Amino acid sequence: MPTTTELYAVDRNVYAFRCPECGALYYPAPMVCRKCRNRRDPSVTVYPDFEKVPLGGPCRLLTWTRIYALPEGIDRPSLAFGVVEFTNGIRAVGVLMTEKPKTGALLDARAGLVRELVGRDCYGLQLFDPSP
Amino acid sequence: MREVGIVGIGHTKFGRLDYDLVDIMAWSSLEALKDAGIEGGIDQVFVANMGAGAVNNQTGIASALVSRIFLEPAMAETVENGPASGASAVKCGYLAIAAGMADTVLVTGGERMRETTGWKATDFVATLTHPDAEYAYGLTLPAYGGMFTRAYMERHGLTEKHLAMIAVKAHRNAEKNPFAHIEETASIDGIWDGPHREVVNPVMADPLRLYDLCPVSDGAASVVLTAMETAGRFKKKPIRIAGIGQATDTHCVFNREDLLDLKAVRLAAERAYAMAGIGPKEISLAELHDAFLILEVAESEEVGFFPKGEAKKAIERGETEIAGRIPINTSGGLKAKGHPVGATGVSQIHEIVKQLRGEAEEGRRVKNPRYGLAVNFGGFGNNVVATILAKE
Ligand SMILES: [Zn+2]
Repeated sequence: MPTTTELYAVDRNVYAFRCPECGALYYPAPMVCRKCRNRRDPSVTVYPDFEKVPLGGPCRLLTWTRIYALPEGIDRPSLAFGVVEFTNGIRAVGVLMTEKPKTGALLDARAGLVRELVGRDCYGLQLFDPSP
Repeated sequence: MREVGIVGIGHTKFGRLDYDLVDIMAWSSLEALKDAGIEGGIDQVFVANMGAGAVNNQTGIASALVSRIFLEPAMAETVENGPASGASAVKCGYLAIAAGMADTVLVTGGERMRETTGWKATDFVATLTHPDAEYAYGLTLPAYGGMFTRAYMERHGLTEKHLAMIAVKAHRNAEKNPFAHIEETASIDGIWDGPHREVVNPVMADPLRLYDLCPVSDGAASVVLTAMETAGRFKKKPIRIAGIGQATDTHCVFNREDLLDLKAVRLAAERAYAMAGIGPKEISLAELHDAFLILEVAESEEVGFFPKGEAKKAIERGETEIAGRIPINTSGGLKAKGHPVGATGVSQIHEIVKQLRGEAEEGRRVKNPRYGLAVNFGGFGNNVVATILAKE
């Protein structure tokens, strides 16, 4: 069974996870629902399991940084990260694809390849200026 | 429960040490035994370390240390709690003595991080973040430091110049600390106002600059703990462990309701104050975990020294300097003394003991201190240990 990172790579997508019992939404996936204590099946084979909800779309930038000492598997002079909040209240980290980020700005999050490690592609959220 | 005191302290120089991790830890351990006036008689050893397996390709460090300095058959364990490993190990030592499992305990925190490249050292620390929601992005602790700093500046009006002022203070204190990694002076002219700022002090994790971040260091620190009731047989008067508090918070920083709320710092400090029966006003000096200078600012507010958003006024008034109202990071802090991850929490306690004994070097000695607080910050605030020491 794939880990969540592998699941993202196979699907080329990023997911929040919804509790099938009470509908509470989480990112990243917990092992148990905080609200109703329903347990997730990590093997993703037994019903009922937490529902995959693709994460993306309009979001607001809460804070950001740009780093110049870059990790392995990233081929760029600098890399900017942001923390965003979606309209449903879910928050996530993403790679900023905008030239001039500004706290509070509306962005558009899309799943994409954020890092290539040896034998392992990492899919995550990329944050773009909203299309006009 | 028995009361516990510290009767011996030892420290290596922090920086680049070209000998192996166990030798590094053995050195500070022997210094602490010497300071306590003993050669053996240790019932239990706790070792704080985060990266031996990942960086130095060595595991079972506590057993290795015991054997290198002939402390067999003492009980021994390694405590790994991220960057808070040091204070966690001291907490374990406290518990062992308080519960009556041991009478005398050696706690040694050590790390050898410069064996690898700067990036790999940063990467191994980043493995404490969430594997697919944070680490997979290449997100590092300095990146979180940068994002936290920006959010704090935008909400509270702190400026990059305030951070530069703290850096200058840290360097000034470290200059007088023989164990400090950084030995050079820093001035506001050089790192902030001067014409060569972008070269001397470049942006590393916007808005954090080079001088706002701690260096990657090797080093170790040790303390000898014993039951207060029998502490009279040691060379020096014991420094009592008056309070220990610890708290955890969400693994992913972004899942905190308020990104600037370091709840685990606040709770850890509150628990330590409650155990010690004192409040922040009684604290004479503090070592706060400043891997990024913004953390000194935010932690000084969370532990109750200043109201939220107002630490900047204290910085402007010099209240956190050696002669100020509440001296912070008299050792130079992680920023200038250095940050061998597993050693840091023990090193902070080493500094408080040194100050409470009146043994700190001229020029960085705090006047008549009674209580000292150390805050050891793990993850990006997801596991924090606060320790209060008292001069009895
Ligand atoms: Zn539920």
